[in-house]
Amino acid sequence: MDDRFAQQLKKGVLDMLVLELICSAPRYGYELLTLLKNQSDGMFSLKEGTLYPILYRLEDEGLIHSAWSQGAGRSAPKKIYEATPEGILESQRRLAVWQQFQETTNRILLGGTET
Amino acid sequence: MTDAEKKMKRYVTAVERRLNLPREVRARVMSDFSSSIAARREAGQSDEEIYAEFGAPSKAAADLNEQMKEFTYRKSPWRFGFAALAVWGGLTLLRLLIPQLMYWGFRLSALFRPEASSIGIIGGADGPTTIFVTSPVSMLIGLYILLPLLAVIVGLWGFFRLRKCRRK
Repeated sequence: MDDRFAQQLKKGVLDMLVLELICSAPRYGYELLTLLKNQSDGMFSLKEGTLYPILYRLEDEGLIHSAWSQGAGRSAPKKIYEATPEGILESQRRLAVWQQFQETTNRILLGGTET
Repeated sequence: MTDAEKKMKRYVTAVERRLNLPREVRARVMSDFSSSIAARREAGQSDEEIYAEFGAPSKAAADLNEQMKEFTYRKSPWRFGFAALAVWGGLTLLRLLIPQLMYWGFRLSALFRPEASSIGIIGGADGPTTIFVTSPVSMLIGLYILLPLLAVIVGLWGFFRLRKCRRK
């Protein structure tokens, strides 16, 4: 995933995925990293530093907000990210855009092989 | 605090010291970084594994610095306008105040010279006239002082505000 093309594709997709994951349930930063890594077979294995700009952008846009959650027992408090109502709407909109994008792209690619 | 805790605290502090980010962004990054360490521990990672994954403090900080580039702050060029306003206000104030200060300094020093007491008396006798003449003038001077003072305040405020313009 080192080349520029893959990186640019990844950038937009990650914004959408992180927002959608937070919309489905409140998440910790590390939880997001492990989810992305495990469910993508390592393709979206990010470092902390790569995730933070995405989270801060979403937070600054008012789509998610962070809170401190006290874990069970004597575990240290951790920062948890939750979606705002605007975030949930925006996530649905982004998924729709993604759906349309993917369908159109595939149609062109498949159409290209037919003719 | 156990030795392991102390070691982790030292590690986190060492990373924080090497972050080349504005203070607010640094605090934000560090709160997430600490959370991440806590989460890794809860997930069963040993401290050694955590250190190995993030690398030495210099490396961990360099990674964060590199990724957080868009969150560094840019200084807006407009701040020069505000700085100029503040400087203009400051200079005008000085120009207005220096003769006043010199005048009052002279009056005060005159008070402490016995041979000059007659000046005081003459000045005192002229008091009502002076007050009558200067009162509209002093109001004008008040406005003259207020304007540059306002310029200094607005200028400084703008200058420091615009230093924190987020790079988009």
